Amino acid sequence: MSQAGVVAGHHEEPDQLYVETRELRVQGFLLFMVSDLVLFSSFIFAYLYLRNTGQGWPPPGAPKLDLALAAINSVILFGSGATMHFALENWKHEKFMKFTGWMVATIVLGALFLSGQIVEYAKLAVGWGSSGIFGTSFFTLTGMHGFHVFCGIIYLTILLLQAVHGKYTFQKYTGLTLGTLYWHFVDVIWVVLFSIFYLY
Amino acid sequence: MNEVVAHTERAMAVFFGIVVFIVAAIALKNDWKAKGLENQVFKMMLALLALGAFLAIMAALNVLVGKGVEV
Repeated sequence: MSQAGVVAGHHEEPDQLYVETRELRVQGFLLFMVSDLVLFSSFIFAYLYLRNTGQGWPPPGAPKLDLALAAINSVILFGSGATMHFALENWKHEKFMKFTGWMVATIVLGALFLSGQIVEYAKLAVGWGSSGIFGTSFFTLTGMHGFHVFCGIIYLTILLLQAVHGKYTFQKYTGLTLGTLYWHFVDVIWVVLFSIFYLY
Repeated sequence: MNEVVAHTERAMAVFFGIVVFIVAAIALKNDWKAKGLENQVFKMMLALLALGAFLAIMAALNVLVGKGVEV
C-alpha cells in the first residue's frame, strides 16, 4: 500500500448496516440511471421519428457535421471510460496512488471531450439559423449529454476529494462504484448519439 | 490546413480507438466471471464501450459514414 493510502483508503471492516444496505443503494442508483435512460430514449425516439417522417434528411441548409472531430472526441470519451475502470480496479487492489492518477486522467479526458463539443458547436453555430429541426434535435440531445458529462466531471472530482480525505476505505467504497457506473452510462449514451447523428 | 487537421484527427481516432477497444475487451474478459448486480451492468457497459470504440474506428476510416456529415 502507498504512503498516502495509509491515510486515504485505510482499512476498516464494513459494519452490519453497510453490508445490509449496500445492495439497496446500488439498486437505487441503477433506478436513477434507468430514469435517465428513459429521458434520453424519449428524445432519441423523437429525433428518429422526425428524421424518418421528414422530406429527406438532412434538411436543406442544415450544417454539415464534422465526422473526424466527432470520431476523435468519441475515442476520448470512451478512453475516459477505460481510465475510470482502471481507477476502480486499482482501488479494489488497494493501490491508492494509481487510483488517484486514473481518476485525474478520467476527469481530464472528460474535460477534453467537453472542449471538443464546444469546438464543434462553434463551427455549427454559423449555420444554426437555417438548421431547423435537425439543429434542434442535435443541440438538444448532445447538449443534454454534454450537461451529463459536465455533472459527471464535478461528481468524479468530489469522489476523488472524498477518497483523498479518507471518506472511503478499501472495504467500503460503494460511492466509487456508483461513480464508475454513472461514467460508463454517460459513455454508453454517447455510443448511441454518435451512431444516430454521425453514422446513420 | 483543414485537411491536415482532419487527417491527424482520423489517425489519432484510429490509433486510440484500437487501444480503447483492446483495453475494454481485456477488462471484459477479466470481469467475465464476476458476480453481483453492479458487475453484470459493468460487463454490459464494457461491451458497449468496445462497440463504441469499434464504431469510432470505422467512422475515422470512412467505412461508416452517415447522412449530413462532412467526409
